[in-house]
Amino acid sequence: MSGAPLAITGLGAVTPLGAGTPALHGALSDNLCGIAAREIVIEGVERFTFGAAACAGFDERQQRGPSGVALDRGTALALAAAREAAAQAGLGTAAEPAVDAERLAVYWGAGMGGAASLDQTTEQLYAHRRRMRPTTVLTTMPNAAAAELSMAFGARAASMGYACACASAAVAIGEAMRAVRAGWADVAIAGGHEALLTPGLVAGWQAMKVLAPAAGAPAEVCRPFAADRAGFALGEGAAALVIESLDCARRRGAPVLALLSGYGTSCDAEHISSPSSRGQVRAMRAALADAGLSPAEIGHVNAHGTGTTAGDVAEAASLAEVFGTVGVPVSATKALHGHLMGAGGAIELICALHALHTSRLPAAAVPPAPSMGIDLVHGRTPRAVAPFAHVMSNSFAFGGTNAVIVASRLRAPGAGD
Amino acid sequence: MSTTTFETVARIVQEEHHCDPTLIRRDVPLIDLGLDSLALMEFIFSVEDAFHLRLPEDKLDPREAGITLGDLCDAIDARMAEEAAGSAMHPEPARA
Repeated sequence: MSGAPLAITGLGAVTPLGAGTPALHGALSDNLCGIAAREIVIEGVERFTFGAAACAGFDERQQRGPSGVALDRGTALALAAAREAAAQAGLGTAAEPAVDAERLAVYWGAGMGGAASLDQTTEQLYAHRRRMRPTTVLTTMPNAAAAELSMAFGARAASMGYACACASAAVAIGEAMRAVRAGWADVAIAGGHEALLTPGLVAGWQAMKVLAPAAGAPAEVCRPFAADRAGFALGEGAAALVIESLDCARRRGAPVLALLSGYGTSCDAEHISSPSSRGQVRAMRAALADAGLSPAEIGHVNAHGTGTTAGDVAEAASLAEVFGTVGVPVSATKALHGHLMGAGGAIELICALHALHTSRLPAAAVPPAPSMGIDLVHGRTPRAVAPFAHVMSNSFAFGGTNAVIVASRLRAPGAGD
Repeated sequence: MSTTTFETVARIVQEEHHCDPTLIRRDVPLIDLGLDSLALMEFIFSVEDAFHLRLPEDKLDPREAGITLGDLCDAIDARMAEEAAGSAMHPEPARA
């Protein structure tokens, strides 16, 4: 049984491909890569270089939050992205709201919350005998960003933080969809952030042997679905959507940028880190059913596509199961913007919307292994395709949470949009 | 010419807490600076950081009504003098 499509009336993003959605769209059009080599040195313990996707030029000290405390970098990214989305949707601010505050909700994902601040603060504590700041708890708690956003926009209906690893933002968006459809809120700000490029946290990822070495050209560091894939480029960023019913958007005169047609979620319940195709297939089919669409109606998939040994194999099998072998053109944009963890689901949805609106699919530099059996868009430039109406974005996380979102054009291609 | 204690304290409250510059005077009570209890805690922490010292609450409780910026500066100066006197009596061994 399908749910009603919802309007996306605002988008915002700060990513390794630039600050603001115009910069992101420009970078995707030019197939730019935001990955660069970074060295981690922890004296006596670690020294390695990895491919990092950083929001260069973003200074968290320039973002003032409503709480007045010095913000964790991730929370600052979240505020910047949400402010762009809210401005586009005409939401106003807490001081001058444009919507009923008690019908406005925040649904926000983050894999590790304010972990970067905690890493920096505890390093000061143990290595330099410096006391914890009084606001440590308030800046590092995983719901800090959701709280700041709720205060910034006066969202009184709900403030929910979702921690589902790399599916956090997709889950936040999907659960926001469910809440708005069910009438628990009229308007929702949904998305996610992550900022964990501090030495201790990066060393944690390195210990799992999932980080791609920074050898060769940046565009070839992360090679999703390739025969010689070697892991992902750890990144940071934030992206936000404003979503509401079509009726609500029209009444408010808000711009309808695209539709959210379907959301499906499932859990593998099999392994703490290795993904299961069965769980992924169930989530994709649930999203399609929610959207009232068949696989053949999906013109493009933005894959989870991390470039890990196990992850890509499982996802390639899942895509073949749902769409048939080489059954739908797939983009793996983590090769361009990095693995943005808790922000990934939201940023990749914006990449999917870019493909939907431009009919140009972002390309990964390195071709897929033939054995994968997927049509991965690859090369130096995006692939131009005939206009299509519906797109799918996948997020398959450590811990087994799978979240899939289907988005659609407001009008069918060729119908004058 | 070295920066006075007051100049350092004034810089912190203005830069980190965006305090109204007209309020930054020795005679202004901390309570009247427009900082809530959380911001006041952060402000004292930043001040202690800047001077590399701790202000025990029995010497100065910023929540106490009437404590002024001037009182804060005096407490910092007194603490620095105490620590200087303490070091003179018990010099720290040289660190590598």
